[in-house]
Amino acid sequence: MGVTCVCQVPVAEGKSVQQTVDMLHKKLEQLGAIKQGNFWVDCETYHATGNATGQPSKLLYVMHNSETPLSSMALFEGGPGLTADANFDVLMVKLKSHFQNAKGHKVESRGTRYRYCDFLVKIGTVAMSSSARGISVEVEYCACVIPGDCWNLIKEFMQSFLGSSTPELPAVFTNKAEGLYTPVDCMDTMSQYLELFGKVRKQQVLPGSGVR
Amino acid sequence: MSGGPAVRVSMESQCERQVQEVSLDGLETYVPPLSMSQNLAKLAQRIDFDQSSDSEQESREPWSALKFQPSLWPWDSVRNNLRSALTEMCVLHDVLSVLKDKKYMALDPVSQDPSTPQVFQLISKKKSLATAAQLLLKGAEKLTKSLAENQEQRRQRDFNSELLRLRSQWKLRKVGHKILGDLSYRSAGSLFPHHGTFEVIKNTDIDLDKKVPDNYCPLNVQIPSDLEGSAYIKVSIQKQSADIGDLGTVSLFRRQPKAKPGSQMWHLKLEAAQNVLLCKEIFAQLSREAVQIKSQIPHIVVKNQIISQPFPGLQLSISLCHSTGEKKIQRASPDKSKPDDHLYVLEHNLHQLIREFHKQTLSSVVMPHPASSPFGHKRLRLAGPMAYDKAEISSLQQSEGLLEKIIKQAKHIFLRSRSIQLQLNIGVEQIRVVHRDGRVITLSHQEQELQDFLLSQMSQHQVHAVQQLAKVMGWHVLSFSNHVGLGPIESIGNASAITVASPSGEHAISVRNGPESGCKVLVQFPRSQAKELLKSDVLQEGRWTHLRGPYREVHWGRMEGRNFVYKMELLMAALTPCP
Repeated sequence: MGVTCVCQVPVAEGKSVQQTVDMLHKKLEQLGAIKQGNFWVDCETYHATGNATGQPSKLLYVMHNSETPLSSMALFEGGPGLTADANFDVLMVKLKSHFQNAKGHKVESRGTRYRYCDFLVKIGTVAMSSSARGISVEVEYCACVIPGDCWNLIKEFMQSFLGSSTPELPAVFTNKAEGLYTPVDCMDTMSQYLELFGKVRKQQVLPGSGVR
Repeated sequence: MSGGPAVRVSMESQCERQVQEVSLDGLETYVPPLSMSQNLAKLAQRIDFDQSSDSEQESREPWSALKFQPSLWPWDSVRNNLRSALTEMCVLHDVLSVLKDKKYMALDPVSQDPSTPQVFQLISKKKSLATAAQLLLKGAEKLTKSLAENQEQRRQRDFNSELLRLRSQWKLRKVGHKILGDLSYRSAGSLFPHHGTFEVIKNTDIDLDKKVPDNYCPLNVQIPSDLEGSAYIKVSIQKQSADIGDLGTVSLFRRQPKAKPGSQMWHLKLEAAQNVLLCKEIFAQLSREAVQIKSQIPHIVVKNQIISQPFPGLQLSISLCHSTGEKKIQRASPDKSKPDDHLYVLEHNLHQLIREFHKQTLSSVVMPHPASSPFGHKRLRLAGPMAYDKAEISSLQQSEGLLEKIIKQAKHIFLRSRSIQLQLNIGVEQIRVVHRDGRVITLSHQEQELQDFLLSQMSQHQVHAVQQLAKVMGWHVLSFSNHVGLGPIESIGNASAITVASPSGEHAISVRNGPESGCKVLVQFPRSQAKELLKSDVLQEGRWTHLRGPYREVHWGRMEGRNFVYKMELLMAALTPCP
C-alpha cells in the first residue's frame, strides 16, 4: 500500500487505444520494468430510489480493485466512502428496493501490471460495455504512504515514460482537511479512479475503438 | 308402687335456649323463649288451610287435639314412661325375690351343644386360608415367570442395551424409523464432502431354541459400500524410477487390524470404515495439491498413486491401498520383493498432519466465526474492510500444503539414511555403536569414551574422503592404511594415512590424519621442480628428473577452503596442470 496517482493518457494521434497501450508497455520495458501479471478495477453505479422531491438522486458507486481482492469499496462522488468485505455486493442485491443498479453504466479498466523496483505501474484500457474509451495509468510508490513526501519522486518517474501527459498533484490529496502529510487510504486511489471514469463517461465514443 | 321409701327423681330441663350474646365478662345472654301465645302462633303457621275437606277434617282433629294438648302438663309423657319403667322394675324385682326362695320358681340353664360351633369355625378358617393361599400362589407364579423372562433377555443381550453401548462410542440419531450414525470426521473439523453415515439394524436372525452363539450381537451396522474393507497409505522411496507401465499397480498388502478382546464386531467394522475414510481424505488432499501446486518437476497422479521426484534419481511414491474384504489379494506388481520399502513413519505423519489440519479448522483462531465469513484465519475477516493487498493476505494464509510437507520429510529421511555412518544405540548401562561396515563397538557410560571414539572416527573419515576424492578427480591411490604403525603414537585410536598420485604421475599427496595429532599433508614434486637439486653421479640421464623427488609440507591451516574436502580438492586441482 503506497501513494498512488491515477491519470488518463490521451490516445496518440492516428493510433488506436491498443497501439498506444503497446507503446507505453514498450517504454516501460525499456526502462527496465518487469511484467507482473494483470490487474483490473471496475465500478458499478447505483441510483438511490425513493427520492421525494425532484432532486437528482445521489449516485452510489461500488468499486473493486484486484490489488485488494477481498474488498469492495462504496463511495459517493466527492462524498464519504466505505470499505467492506466482498459480501457487500450481496448486500447491495438485498437493498434492491433502495438502490437500483444502473447496468449500462459499468466501467472497468483492465491491463498489465509492471514492477520497477519500488514502483508499481498499471496500464489499463478503460472500457464501458466492451468498448474501449480511454487509457488509465496508475503509478504506485510502495515505499511511502505520505503523498507530500514522495510526490516529486513520483512525478519525475512519470515524466520518464509519460512525457507530456504527466498530471499534477491529484486533487484528492490537496482536498484533504489535514493536508498533504496524512497517510493515504485505499479510498484515495478509488476516488481518483472514479474521477477518471467519470471523465471517460462524459467523453464521446472514440472513433475506431469499437468492439475489440 | 308399694313399700320402700319413695325414690326421689330430680329432673332438670336442658337449657335449650340459644345464646344470643356473650358479653365481655363472660355473661351469656339467652334468647328469651317463646311464650305460649308465640308458640301457638308458630304452630298455627304450619297448618295448611288449602287442603280438601276430609283432610281438613282430619287435620282439624289433630288440630283440635293439638289445640287441646297445650292444656296438658308438658311432663305427662315423661311421667307415663317413668311409671311404666317402674312397673317393669317392680315385676322384675318380684320375680327375682320369688326365685331366690327356690320354692315356687327355679332357673334351668339352656343346654349347649359344644361340637357344632367348632366345626363351623374350622370350615370358615379353612376357607379363608385357602383364599389367602391362592393369592400368594398367584403372586409367586408371576414372580417366577418374570424372573425366567429376565434371564432369557439377558442371554439374548437386549437390543436396547447394545444400542446404548454403541451410542456411548459413536454418534447416532433417529431419522423416522431408522437409526443412523455418523462416522466421518466432520465434527472434528474435516471438510471432506463424504457423508459417512451408517445405519443400525436389528439382528433378527436368531433362533431362540438353539444355543446362542458366543459372538452373537443383536444389532448390526451397515456401512457405506465405498468404505468397506480396510485401507492404508503406503509411502515408499525408490532409487530408480519405475516404468510407466508399472504406475498404478501398487500391490495391496492386506494388513489385519488387531482385534481387541471384548470389542464388538460393529466396533471393528466402524473403526475400519473410519480409517478408510481418513485414508481417502488424505489421498484426496494430496492429489489435489499435486495437481494444483506448480513445482519444477511435476508430480504424477495415476489412479491410486502419486509419484514425485524430490531429488533427481530418487522417486517418492504415495499410494492408497484399499482392500475390500471379499476379493483375493492381487499380487500384480513386481516390487513384491521389497515389502520393507513402506515408510511407516511417513504414513503416521500423514495421519497426524491431516488431524492437525482438522484441528485448525476448529481452533479458537477460526471458531467461533460469524455466519457470513468463510473458514480461515480470523484475521482474514478484516482483509475486506481494511483493504489488505495480496502480500498481506498471502502472509496470513497457510503457505505449505500436505504434499509439500511430506516431500520435505521424505527428503530428510533420505539424506539422513545416506549420510549416516554410525548408529548409536544408547542403552541403560552401555552405548552400542553400530558402524556402517558392520562393526559393533560397545562403550561404557564414560562420555569421554564416546568422544574419543567419535574423534577417531572423524579422522578416519577424512582420510576416506581423500580416497573418494581421488577417485573422482582421477588420482591414483598408491597406499592407504587405516592404522599406521609409524609416527607418533596417538593416545586415542590410531592415525590413518593415504598417498595418492596425480594422473600424470608428477605429483603425489600424502596425508596422515590422527585424532590427536591432526592433519599432516605433504606433497611430492618431480625432481626437476625441486629447488635443491643434488647432482649425483648415479643418475646421469635427464629422464630421471621427471620422477618424483622430495616432499614438502603444506601449511594446512592457511589453505583456502571451507573444510577439509574443499581444501584437498583445491590442492589436487592446483597440482594437476592444464593440458
